[in-house]
Amino acid sequence: MEDISEFIKKIEFEIDEIESETINPETKFRELEEWSSMMGLIFIALIDTEYDVTVNGDDLINCVTVQDLYNVVKSKIQ
Amino acid sequence: MTPFDLKNKTILVTGASSGIGRQVAISANKMGANIIATGRDEERLKETIDLLTGEDSQYIVADLLEQNDINQLVEKIPSLDGVVHCAGIVRPYPVKFISTDVLHQIFDINYEAQVLLMSQITRKKKLNKKASIVFSSSIAADHPYKGGALYAGSKAALEAFSKVIALEFSHMEIRSNCIASAMVKTPMFETAETQGTKERMDEHIKKYPLGVGYPEDVANTAIYLLSNASKWMTGQTITLDGGFLLGDF
Ligand SMILES: NC(=O)c1ccc[n+]([C@@H]2O[C@H](COP(=O)([O-])OP(=O)(O)OC[C@H]3O[C@@H](n4cnc5c(N)ncnc54)[C@H](OP(=O)(O)O)[C@@H]3O)[C@@H](O)[C@H]2O)c1
Repeated sequence: MEDISEFIKKIEFEIDEIESETINPETKFRELEEWSSMMGLIFIALIDTEYDVTVNGDDLINCVTVQDLYNVVKSKIQ
Repeated sequence: MTPFDLKNKTILVTGASSGIGRQVAISANKMGANIIATGRDEERLKETIDLLTGEDSQYIVADLLEQNDINQLVEKIPSLDGVVHCAGIVRPYPVKFISTDVLHQIFDINYEAQVLLMSQITRKKKLNKKASIVFSSSIAADHPYKGGALYAGSKAALEAFSKVIALEFSHMEIRSNCIASAMVKTPMFETAETQGTKERMDEHIKKYPLGVGYPEDVANTAIYLLSNASKWMTGQTITLDGGFLLGDF
């Protein structure tokens, strides 16, 4: 899997509410002001589309930071 | 004898291996119907059949995404007095990520399969006069939710299709109606829970004055629609939502 900076770029590009260069691996994404259940769906669909990996709502809830999410996606690819 | 009696009626139930379809098979059988239960999972279909009484019910394994399976299913079934379509899947997908793949995944089973099944059944003259067709819609068809483009769209399409069946076969007094349910406790409910989160689902169910639905609630409505009690009802959708759409949030 590509490294985390590419992963972050994709999130910033695909999710309208997130401006570019505003998140980093330590960002607690569910604590973002813009966070909503719709954004959760967009994360899930983005990951499905880009990495062909299925994460579910509970996976998201179990992640605190962007790094955690990256790790989950990475572990599911392998 | 009640007007809801289904004695001597033969009813085909799709999605009979799980959830609402299984309960429709059980409840309709209790009212006297012979059931033809279909689905993909043979073990779970057998479990459904084991819960039925009488000798004339049977299961037929069929993947409704395969035209061959549909043809063989229709070949094997006797003439029907009713069909209850309960096969279906749910998957939320935001519009901006919809691809042909995802679109097909949802529409193929939620819409296309039911259209092709009805086309074969009617072409092969497997519907008796006064037969009743029931489709499983959802309140999402009229009250969609974010991420529901494909699911809500497939159910809206199904409701339109049901009305066309009602028109095209009215000369045989064949009727077609939909049941549009809000959330019902089935394996699909659990899938929806993991697609979102349990927390979110709990919040949603709190808005139902009568609480979450159970498969019996849908099955009992299906009995009404299958029976002669509803002989003047066709082309309609019955909403079952525990009062949710009254909107007292
Ligand atoms: N539960 C709810 O809250 C709710 C609310 C509104 C509407 N509905 C609708 O009600 C219907 C039944 O839902 P449910 O909750 O009972 O779902 P469920 O427990 O998940 O059962 C779905 C059924 O569909 C069958 N199915 C799926 N793909 C199939 C295929 N390719 N070929 C043949 N059969 C297939 C499954 O058979 P196998 O397992 O054997 O493959 C299973 O029996 C669905 O149309 C759903 O959209 C449900």
